[in-house]
Amino acid sequence: MSSSADIRSRGKALRKQTKSTKQSMLVGGLTLVVFLVLWELLPTIGVLNRVLIPTLTDTIWGLGQLVSGGYWWEDLGSTLSSVVIAWTIGVTFGITMGVTLGTSPFIRTAITPYAIALQALPKIVLAPVLIGALGFGSQSKIAIAVAICFFPVWINTMVGLALPSAAEFTFMKSLNASRVQVFRKLQLPSSVPIVLVGMKHAMLLSFTGVLVAEILSSASNGLGKLVKEFSLQLNMPLSLAVITVVLTIAVSLVSIMDVLERKVVFWSESERGKNS
Amino acid sequence: MSKSTLSTTKVTLEDPQKKKKKFSPYWITAALFPIIMLTWYVITEIRVLHPILMPGPEAVLKAVPKVFGSETFVMHATRTLTEIVGGFALGATVGFILGLLLGSSNVLRAAYLPVLSAMEAVPTVIIAPLLIAWLGFGFEGKIVQAAFACFYAVFITTLSGLALANANSVSLMQSLGASKIQTLLKLRIPSALPVIFGGLQLGATIAIIGAIVSEFVGADAGLGFLLLRYRSSYDTPSAWVLIFCFLAIGIATYLIISLAEKKIVFWRAAAITRPDLEKK
Amino acid sequence: MTSIVLGSKKTQQTTKPNQRKATEVQKNNDSNVLVRLEGVSKKYQSGSNEIIALSGLDLEAREGEFLSLLGPSGCGKSTALNIMGGLLQASEGKVSIAGEEMTKPRRDIGMMFQQAVMFPWRTTIENVLLPIEVFGLNKKDYVAKAEELLAMVGMSEFANSYPWQLSGGMQQRAALCRVLIHHPKLLLLDEPFGALDEFTRESMNQELLRLQSHSGSTAVLVTHNIAEAVFMSDRIAVMTSRPGRLIGVIDVPFARPRTPDLYGDPEFTKLVVKARQMLGLA
Repeated sequence: MSSSADIRSRGKALRKQTKSTKQSMLVGGLTLVVFLVLWELLPTIGVLNRVLIPTLTDTIWGLGQLVSGGYWWEDLGSTLSSVVIAWTIGVTFGITMGVTLGTSPFIRTAITPYAIALQALPKIVLAPVLIGALGFGSQSKIAIAVAICFFPVWINTMVGLALPSAAEFTFMKSLNASRVQVFRKLQLPSSVPIVLVGMKHAMLLSFTGVLVAEILSSASNGLGKLVKEFSLQLNMPLSLAVITVVLTIAVSLVSIMDVLERKVVFWSESERGKNS
Repeated sequence: MSKSTLSTTKVTLEDPQKKKKKFSPYWITAALFPIIMLTWYVITEIRVLHPILMPGPEAVLKAVPKVFGSETFVMHATRTLTEIVGGFALGATVGFILGLLLGSSNVLRAAYLPVLSAMEAVPTVIIAPLLIAWLGFGFEGKIVQAAFACFYAVFITTLSGLALANANSVSLMQSLGASKIQTLLKLRIPSALPVIFGGLQLGATIAIIGAIVSEFVGADAGLGFLLLRYRSSYDTPSAWVLIFCFLAIGIATYLIISLAEKKIVFWRAAAITRPDLEKK
Repeated sequence: MTSIVLGSKKTQQTTKPNQRKATEVQKNNDSNVLVRLEGVSKKYQSGSNEIIALSGLDLEAREGEFLSLLGPSGCGKSTALNIMGGLLQASEGKVSIAGEEMTKPRRDIGMMFQQAVMFPWRTTIENVLLPIEVFGLNKKDYVAKAEELLAMVGMSEFANSYPWQLSGGMQQRAALCRVLIHHPKLLLLDEPFGALDEFTRESMNQELLRLQSHSGSTAVLVTHNIAEAVFMSDRIAVMTSRPGRLIGVIDVPFARPRTPDLYGDPEFTKLVVKARQMLGLA
């Protein structure tokens, strides 16, 4: 079903295997410098429309304005709190559903077609309806984000519970272990790596959901609303500044989860960077 | 520990023809569908939510001919599909090429992988207002949005897929004196295809989301734009018809890519059904 | 002249190891049979075909003895083992362990498979203690025993390592400790060292014999290696396939402990040849 967990672990394994050499650092550094220089230069000399694409310094100045202006803190707080709350609800819901429906292979097979259908639906299309039902406040933001982000956690929990090999299940059977024991001692630990990956993915989706909700509804607050407003006013430096903030928050959140993941599942194959 | 007595306990003879009645889980699958429909009907009848917000099944069914029959429907549908297909094609191509480039050169890989990997964490919707300011409400912006959102999935699966060729196969190519390009074309890319198709599936899903979100943020046409219009005029049944349309698009995309995979990576299914031959 | 006292675990030795004895008295007495299979068959339905994995197997394993099930692939030896262990139900026939009907896996039976099946999130010693946890016994009581077993197989310094830090042979050594931790009366071993190289395999077999005689358990080993069967066993049940059935039982009278120079003994070779003949190879 979902290969997003697969993709994340591949990315991680690749990053572990890739070593920086002097050459590569040079190439990377050079690219960065060229990029920054062009960013500063091209709008200045008019090759790019400075109004639409502000220079690097314009953007930094915008960032300064944003922070000192003071009015953005409320938006920042609104977005962040919605993201975290929605993520928590989504993860709890997803794991519960996954455990309830995933421990028995029979039930798992029975509901798989519905899970595939649910996965095929771009759940973001529920956003306008949810906003209509729940209004413009943070409830609809959280509802949309939960609807989008619980899914990978649910799927990964179900997949994770089915991960152990036939040999491992046979081994537990040879000890005459009860269903509960097989769940607690084999299925649950086996599923932790992939569930954590799902939780990481859910963080990104929660963020996406919140931002979309903020952009969609006219009366909300939040970083999404800010970007929309600034862009509409063609105040690009501020808009880019907020985007930079969003990027930073997103990368930080996921990095924190990466560190946690490394600590908890040091024993899993993806963590050990097993070469395929 | 060694004491044991063998009593003459008789064991019941087991009927060798005894078969456990196989109850297929798909009976439950089929049973769930009418249950869900019934629940929907009941919920709307007892008016948990105002009918404008949550229409019942009959209202949605009635709206179907209205939506599909409207003269602009085909135009909107074509528009959105163009955005999706165009964005996916662009993003997948860029992702694939990037994957090839970084996969073939360790220097490039070490230089750019960290930055590109950061893309994984980014909620790409955030650039939607930006793209509209730059490219307007037309389909171009949507294509860029969708492409930007989905390139990473194809990129990372291409990159990791290229590394999948097992050591023995690589040695074989080397012993034949194959050039790097030959090894790439004849070994690495075919080995990578199963994984790349996984990335394509995910990328397609993401491209759809990107196109829709972009239409939400601002557009002059398209099914997402239409959905918002229905919503704001409180025509919720029609909005739900569109939601089911999107479900259909999602399922169709999944099926199309699966079909393509079965044709192109025809050996994979065979390997799975013959586990004794599958290389570990 | 040595004699075997009924019900005891050790034989009194007045002869050198491996020296064959003129006569061997094995009393076929009901009271020292641990595992008994009578007329056991196992059939599967595959579409419209009926596959007969085992047909009318009559077999005994006596207390304290080392019995091998020897035969080619498909002769039903693993099936027979799984039936003895309660993982499979026989289609026909009687299966009894220590006089009781065999229905499901029991705590006095320990099974070992070709894959070590170590849980990667547990350390070696935690893996060894897993059966204790599953049986609901007090872990603390068995820690010393686990350490003792690990020491006996030379794995003491790896007690707190993780399985993925160990080689295949080391993991199987740990699996051997795990199968013995709960003092099982019966050891069922399905080619446990089949995936290892020849040298490791030989030393592991020596470990196995040592631990088995130390604990006095009965052992049933499934193997397709004739020399291994002769070296390890007191008796060999030779089986063939299509359908899976017993051809005959070979007595292996060499004294214990068995040492590698047994391989050079002409009597050893005679038994190997006999087995080959029974299997239709020579």
